[in-house]
Amino acid sequence: MPLLRGFLTLLLFLILGEAMRLLFLLPISGGIIGMLLLTFWAMVSGGISEDLALASQKLIAILILLIMPGVVGVFFLGGHFDGQWLAITLALLAGTFLSVLTTLLILRVQVRPDQEASHD
Amino acid sequence: MTDLIARFQQLAPQLLSTPALSVLMTLIAYFVGVSLFRKLKQPVWCPPVLIAAVLLAIMLSLLSISFEEYRTGANWLSFLLGPATVALGVPLYQQFHHIRAMWRPILATVPLAATVAVLYALVIAWALGASTEVLASLAPKSVTAPIAIGINQQIGGSVSLLMGSLLVTGVVASLFVDWLSRWLNISDDRLIGLTLGINGHAIGTVRAFEISATAGAFSSLGMGLTGVFTALLLPFALDTLNVL
Repeated sequence: MPLLRGFLTLLLFLILGEAMRLLFLLPISGGIIGMLLLTFWAMVSGGISEDLALASQKLIAILILLIMPGVVGVFFLGGHFDGQWLAITLALLAGTFLSVLTTLLILRVQVRPDQEASHD
Repeated sequence: MTDLIARFQQLAPQLLSTPALSVLMTLIAYFVGVSLFRKLKQPVWCPPVLIAAVLLAIMLSLLSISFEEYRTGANWLSFLLGPATVALGVPLYQQFHHIRAMWRPILATVPLAATVAVLYALVIAWALGASTEVLASLAPKSVTAPIAIGINQQIGGSVSLLMGSLLVTGVVASLFVDWLSRWLNISDDRLIGLTLGINGHAIGTVRAFEISATAGAFSSLGMGLTGVFTALLLPFALDTLNVL
């Protein structure tokens, strides 16, 4: 029962997020709005019930299973993106290399190793 | 006897009229994929989802089931992505105390890093002549899968290409963070964790937890904040700039 009660809370926030998206014409999915509402609710109410923590943990643990139907589609794209694979590959490899480098440099500028102790 | 053979040939399409077969195949591929991943000593370059997806693709082609037929049944599983996305709010809330300890660098870095992660990929792909469909599919490449699918529902693009991009990005981000942090002499687990989460979403976070619990916590936080920031800003930015 705790699992189902937690699931009920998740569905409630999902529907709430979906309703807000439709009402305010937001370009953000209902699931993401629901997630933000849930985080906000947890901060305001000062915590998360055991039921909700349990249901969330169980669902997050099977995330791989839930995204598999999308992932397997990669093998069935056929010739749909022919002629664009060089652009796609370079964007992913070079783009990720540059963004990792940028992130590390931004962080290093701000967090000096010798400041760490006094910083906290 | 010939009747039986004829009925046997009709079996797969008839069984596909319920979601059971699609869900069954997904579950089999999932469990075999996860146990193979453990047997291979958990390689960074080959996450369990990739092994499972390859197995599933082989199963589908052996049974000559089309991807569309499979996906109709598997929608039953994909539906759960909605509540699973909402569930990500729980770890996000639980990791929040790390922000208090290091709020200045985190709040300064995440928006900037998440923005350039999108921009670099889009500019490179655009310069090489990628179509708007490809650009839309690549844009959320550094965001954790459920949130990325949520973004995809809003901005369009191919879900399958997006999922492939997420896989590649997560794997190479983990490798690049290893190399570049050594090259730049960065050994602070908090910084390495944040970088893994911001650029490599869930796959990077798995790598971070292998380094240390601190790196894992900061990676979860980086992943969550990047997902939220990108989900909130990307659709608005594309809308305003009228690019896609």
